[in-house]
Amino acid sequence: MIQAQSLTKRYGSKVAVDAIDFTIQPGTVTGLLGPNGAGKTTTMRMIVGLDRPDSGSVLVNGQRYQDLRAPLREVGVLLDAKAIHTGRSARNHLLAMAATHNIPKSRVDDVIELTGLTSVARKRVGGYSLGMGQRLGIAAALLGDPGILILDEPVNGLDPEGVQWVRKLMRHLAGEGRTVLLSSHLMSEMALTADHIIMLGRGRIIADAPVAEIIGQAGGATVRVRSPHATRLATLLAQAEVSVVNLEQDVLQITGITAAEIGDQAAAAGIVLHELTSLTASLEDAYMSLTQNEVEYRTGGTGDDEFDDSDTTDAAADAAVNDDPDPRETELQEAAR
Amino acid sequence: MSTPTILVAGTPETLADIGTEYVPASTPTGPHLSAIGIIRSEWIKLSTVRSTIWCFAVLLVVSMGLAAIMSLALDLTGTDIATVPDTDQARFVAQASTFGVFFGQLIVAVLGVLAVTGEFTTGMIRSTLTAVPKRLPALWAKALVLFVTTFVVGLVSSIASYVVTVAIVSGQGLHASLFAPEVILPVLGGSLYLGLVAVFALGIGTIVRSGAGSIAVTLGVILLLPVVLQMIPATWASDVLPYLISSAGISMFGLMQFAKVPLDWSVDLIIVLVWVVLSLGAASVLLKRRDA
Repeated sequence: MIQAQSLTKRYGSKVAVDAIDFTIQPGTVTGLLGPNGAGKTTTMRMIVGLDRPDSGSVLVNGQRYQDLRAPLREVGVLLDAKAIHTGRSARNHLLAMAATHNIPKSRVDDVIELTGLTSVARKRVGGYSLGMGQRLGIAAALLGDPGILILDEPVNGLDPEGVQWVRKLMRHLAGEGRTVLLSSHLMSEMALTADHIIMLGRGRIIADAPVAEIIGQAGGATVRVRSPHATRLATLLAQAEVSVVNLEQDVLQITGITAAEIGDQAAAAGIVLHELTSLTASLEDAYMSLTQNEVEYRTGGTGDDEFDDSDTTDAAADAAVNDDPDPRETELQEAAR
Repeated sequence: MSTPTILVAGTPETLADIGTEYVPASTPTGPHLSAIGIIRSEWIKLSTVRSTIWCFAVLLVVSMGLAAIMSLALDLTGTDIATVPDTDQARFVAQASTFGVFFGQLIVAVLGVLAVTGEFTTGMIRSTLTAVPKRLPALWAKALVLFVTTFVVGLVSSIASYVVTVAIVSGQGLHASLFAPEVILPVLGGSLYLGLVAVFALGIGTIVRSGAGSIAVTLGVILLLPVVLQMIPATWASDVLPYLISSAGISMFGLMQFAKVPLDWSVDLIIVLVWVVLSLGAASVLLKRRDA
């Protein structure tokens, strides 16, 4: 359990985190989501005492992180994969970390095996790829078998297999009753991993709710109908709370009414349907609508809702997915990845 | 790198391994943070980077090399060795054995700086401070480990230099026991000074945080400041000179004197300690206060 109360951090005149309150519950994966510069990393750094809050407080299991008797055994943290001396081997790094808490050597070997680093554990970290560094960071976070895990962009730089592994690991850890907090600007990752979302924008919380609820806020379900009698159907369904958009000559996109109701009404009126598909809004849609005004670093030129996060290939892929008009296909692409 | 390393992360079955000891209530009863643990951690850190090994190797080689050069340069032709008092013989041997400290102080200063700036520049400091969130215990442990290690290596290199010196000068009939007070005290004092200089540099490294900047500041204080003061003709400059860390450190074990009236070794030691306390004190305040 992590509790923040009017947590605030300023860097000079810039407010990075603006009096936020939140509670992160055990047994769930909570996603800290937001555009670059929204305050995700700063919030995580304050939880583990690397940054001192300007005001407010954040407690870990009811105590300040600094006051914990065995910090590594209560909180495992991956803030960035580069928080490791490049001249030391992975195993020696983990041994040094473990030594502070008298964690046995066998545990070091366990986390090395668990993260798939066995073959490179005795090589110097300087030669590691981003993905290997990320695995080592995760190994270090798991070292104390902690009840709380805080992971900043854990899938950054991982290959598809690694991404899937991290996802399973997060789910597994939360399933054991642990508190898992991860940050990402990758929607696909969040939609698949998180149960609960805290969305940040310019240092403020703009949403704090279960994933389903956040998606619901984005406008709810849409139904796509294909019928040779599209115009007749549109007239039939025309009511106050139902919106009908004529996408193609024979395709309608309808919101405000369920697929079942459309089917019933069409059958009653003897209208032939060729397709009746429920489309769920994606987390991405929700994110876009919620953060529209909160993006700090916007790329100029395209005029579209593109984010300045092209520094990772995953982000670029996400942006590409972002342009797709069909939310269902977005999900399919995510599943394929 | 012809064969790429293929990493296979733990399979879902091995995931069960993580939770074997996990108690959801999260009441850590087992291993926890301890002073001994933090010291052991700092020892692992210091001994597993190449810069430490290199610095100590260079210290040993330079120290023995200088002892050899000084001993070989000794020319006693025309001197009846029997007329040279034992204490003078011992003093020469002590000087040759500890001459390396003059250069050694620069080497261990670099080592002390790297021991902490290596963490700041690589980001390792964030791992260190999440493991030891009270922060200061990590600094004290680092200082202790660095001091003891440097003192021991300094002692070993001084004794090795003594062996080299005696091996060379005994050919000319010169003799001195390692345990003669004229020899063993400078050997111990020189090693003590090396350990303290390393800790002084550790403090500077923690304050400045960048490797190059810290080395510049530290070497400036140790090397440049005495030279600058010696060039200033005013009397205050020569009055201040004995109170510099390197002047006091070097006169502490009798290699050179900077004061008109030689200070007692204990006064020199106190001067060196004051420098160390100032550096480490400022470092501790900043380490505690600043965001990492």
